[in-house]
Amino acid sequence: MKRFSVIAACMFLLSLFAPQLFAQDVLKFGIPLPLTGTNAKFGEIEKKSYEIALEEINAKGGIKGKKVVLEFEDSQGKPEISRSIVERLIDVKKQPVIFGEYSSSSSKAVAAVAEERKVPYLVVTGATDDITQQKYKYVFRMNPTNAYYATGFMSFLKEVVKPKTIAILYESSDFGTSGAEDMVKQAAKVGMKVLVKEQYEKGAVDFKPILSKVKAAKPDVIYMVSYVMDAALLMRQIKELRIDSNLYAGGAAGFAIPEFIQNAKEASDLVVTATLWSPQVAYPGAKEYAEKYKKLYKDYPSYHGAEAYSALYIIKNVLERAKSWKPDDIRIAFKATDMMTAFGPIKFEDKDGYTNQNFMDTLVMQVIKGKHETIWPEKYASTKYVYPIPKWRDRK
Amino acid sequence: MKKFLPLIILAILCILPLIGLSSYVMHIFILVLMWSVIGMGWNILGGYTGQVSFGHAAFFGMGAYTSGLLYQHLGISAWWGLPVCVVILTVLSLIIGYICLRLRGAYFALATLALGEVCRVAAENLVGFTQGNMGIMLRERTWVDKTWYFYVILIIAAGAFFLIKQVMESKLGYYFVAIREDQDAAESLGINTTFYKTISLCLSGVLTGIAGAFYMNYMGYIDPSMVFALSEVSIATVMVVMVGGAATYWGPLVGAVIMVFLAEVIRSLPHIGAAHQTIFGIILIFIIMFLPNGIVGDYRKLLKPFKSRKGASS
Amino acid sequence: MAQLELFLQTLISGFLLGGLYALIALGMALIMGVMRVINLAHGDFMMIAMYIAYWLFTFFGIDPYVSVLIAGPALFLFGLAIQKYLLTPVMKVESILPHNQVILTVGLAMVFSNLATVLFTGNYRSTPVSYASSAWYLTDYWKNSPIELSLSMPWTISFIISVMITIGLWIFLTKTDTGKSIRATAQDLDAALLMGVNVNWVRMVTFGIGLVLVAVAGCLFLPIYYLYPALGKQFTNIGFVIAVIGGMGSTNGAVIGGLILGIFESMTATYIGMGWAPAGRFSIFVAALVFLPGGVASILKKRRLGA
Repeated sequence: MKRFSVIAACMFLLSLFAPQLFAQDVLKFGIPLPLTGTNAKFGEIEKKSYEIALEEINAKGGIKGKKVVLEFEDSQGKPEISRSIVERLIDVKKQPVIFGEYSSSSSKAVAAVAEERKVPYLVVTGATDDITQQKYKYVFRMNPTNAYYATGFMSFLKEVVKPKTIAILYESSDFGTSGAEDMVKQAAKVGMKVLVKEQYEKGAVDFKPILSKVKAAKPDVIYMVSYVMDAALLMRQIKELRIDSNLYAGGAAGFAIPEFIQNAKEASDLVVTATLWSPQVAYPGAKEYAEKYKKLYKDYPSYHGAEAYSALYIIKNVLERAKSWKPDDIRIAFKATDMMTAFGPIKFEDKDGYTNQNFMDTLVMQVIKGKHETIWPEKYASTKYVYPIPKWRDRK
Repeated sequence: MKKFLPLIILAILCILPLIGLSSYVMHIFILVLMWSVIGMGWNILGGYTGQVSFGHAAFFGMGAYTSGLLYQHLGISAWWGLPVCVVILTVLSLIIGYICLRLRGAYFALATLALGEVCRVAAENLVGFTQGNMGIMLRERTWVDKTWYFYVILIIAAGAFFLIKQVMESKLGYYFVAIREDQDAAESLGINTTFYKTISLCLSGVLTGIAGAFYMNYMGYIDPSMVFALSEVSIATVMVVMVGGAATYWGPLVGAVIMVFLAEVIRSLPHIGAAHQTIFGIILIFIIMFLPNGIVGDYRKLLKPFKSRKGASS
Repeated sequence: MAQLELFLQTLISGFLLGGLYALIALGMALIMGVMRVINLAHGDFMMIAMYIAYWLFTFFGIDPYVSVLIAGPALFLFGLAIQKYLLTPVMKVESILPHNQVILTVGLAMVFSNLATVLFTGNYRSTPVSYASSAWYLTDYWKNSPIELSLSMPWTISFIISVMITIGLWIFLTKTDTGKSIRATAQDLDAALLMGVNVNWVRMVTFGIGLVLVAVAGCLFLPIYYLYPALGKQFTNIGFVIAVIGGMGSTNGAVIGGLILGIFESMTATYIGMGWAPAGRFSIFVAALVFLPGGVASILKKRRLGA
């Protein structure tokens, strides 16, 4: 025990004197991600996407001639660890720009740290609205917020489905709660009545009680906000209970990844989901990235991957335009960003109560014949949507 | 010499920030001190009075949320949480005590575990009041530099240490230990065990709650899954005290030092990082099997393999 | 009518869920009764069994229900080993706090769930068997039924198997010698020793059986749900909540307690709100501890003694 603690103390002391990172010809970035824990799947997708972008950028000479090196740090999905990772990156390794993290709560914690230390932070995936509603000067978000996740979806509802009532089921996380609250606001705007709004804890086993409640209410649309497995379980149990509604819809995340189809199987058929990006979208580099990812990892990447992939390109663009690599100059370069990425157009605006927020069209996908197809808006569609959908009993 | 040990350590800790350590190292020290406060809190109830609690997250989280909610709903500084939580935590302790203290041993442990979880679920579901999992975020923290936070937690920790010493050297401490050793015998000797167990629980709860209120101010962001967590808070507390040594003055501090340092070191190692819970689990099992009184409690056992090598007979 | 349908469907869900819960709790109750050990790693043993079933399905195509016959014995042996090498020594150690074996099981739980994460990654796994979403529908059989009720196929099969195993266990405990020795040890350790029961061996076997029960529960559960390394904790919680509601160490109580909890949770989910279900579970737990410390078993005993 004694010897062990001596070794541990030595290693700890060594880590305090980590060398400066912006030395010589290598540019090192530490990226916090949930590599273990419940969000590990998404952390993994993003890590792989960062690596694809890294390889491409280095092949073309890196950033201003310097080779880029990425170091992924596992935050385990816990905001306090993300926070301590970022504090270390800023205080000890003197990294002048931060980007990364996946969940809303971790991104929120990191944003607070970055703002108070006056170091720019690029939010890649965290979707909860309040991150960019705090008038933070150093926090820039490239992905649309929860309030905007559903804009493409809402237009699909308005023009094609025309529903009068909706039931909302959401998981109790930050993402789920804010997604549900936003859908409530959107529903009010188009005159849809919210018949049922139920929160559930992630990992729940049996949704049939609340699904039976939903069934009794007979809503036109059932809208669910959840991560991976709950999405699959919800649809399977909806099929079991033969709940017939005009449309089953997901608020991105768990509904937008291939695992949903693999796990829910026939129950996932014709389920629609809001999404921020799909492999068929026409932005430059999107298809190539999606195919490259598929070749390496057997499945198409989700929109989270596209966000991570494009994030590195945004950082490259910002660092190349910045007058110097001091945090304040990088911040000025961020504000002036106006570029196109594989994820979509990037421009940080102060609009509608948000600061430094990027606004983009969002899309709608539908599971058709076991694959996610982009169906809306029609200019991005890869195939025609299927609506109305047949009742469970009439399906094969 | 031994008598002055606490003061010497205190003096060293006071000077620490002045050496000019990086903010990351300060963060580690702050965590160590905070965990030793939590550990000392638990120790009063668990180590000295023998009531093992697996639900101390309830107190920690309640303290954190007291601060957070005062900020969120009344718009006042979260630091008010520290004095206010003394009151709130006393009330909470009385409620929990009323429900759980009639239970013995492992059933008490389970009941506290359950109540910790009830608190977590309540915080998650009362979205209108607590913001649920969207958490409470301080718009800006009081200080960016860690030095002042360090001194605040140092004062709290030192205060806790001396308080416990006073209590345990008084009649109150005597009653606590009597209850731990044999509750029925104590009762038959005329000690009002329920009353003293309740006092023990209140002291324990308030101390842990103060640490929680500090946490809110220091971290700037809390949510139910962080502060009411079963593994990260309740079980971690038990580990800190068991590793350090239950029912000792220095146990919680030693345990906090080991656990926090160990956690950071393991987390930064590239591949082993993910396995830190496994390592902690193994350490816990090891301690339970061979050093059940922790490092401070069983240090003679620790030294045995070293002594016998010298060939001396003890 | 819709309300009646809602109520009946909720009741059915609760019942089926309860059957599964009961199986998990049975193992825990047995261990608690005989060894006075609160096994907080119970759910993690279930997780281990589920991984065994998962790998058998993925590599050899063995249906999870069949894996019961493989995972069961595997966990039995594992239980024997743990009891012999870890639990027994701890019970002998002297320390200030007597609750060491509870803390030991906490340590085991940490090791298992984390080791599984490291070895198997945190990815969610599932065994998409062909009948996973199949169900029997009332309207298929009774064409003019005013309400629609569905009985999920995998849930129902699990329930039936649980019942069979419970009956099997009951027969084992009442009719065989080993079973009677186990019950004797649970009732009065010293008397059992005096009667010549090999208490150490009984303890080992009991722990093993407790794990077999939870392994079976895991295999039955796999087609209905999904698998990830951290799922142990919520089932450990369910296990001890039921063990307490039913009465510590009472197997009959565990079964009844399981059904009660299943129905209670379903009803809470439907009529109060699903987010509160875990809180409901713990509230009923605390209520049982406070108001009915002996659990359901004490009610049963009172009736039998004619009080």
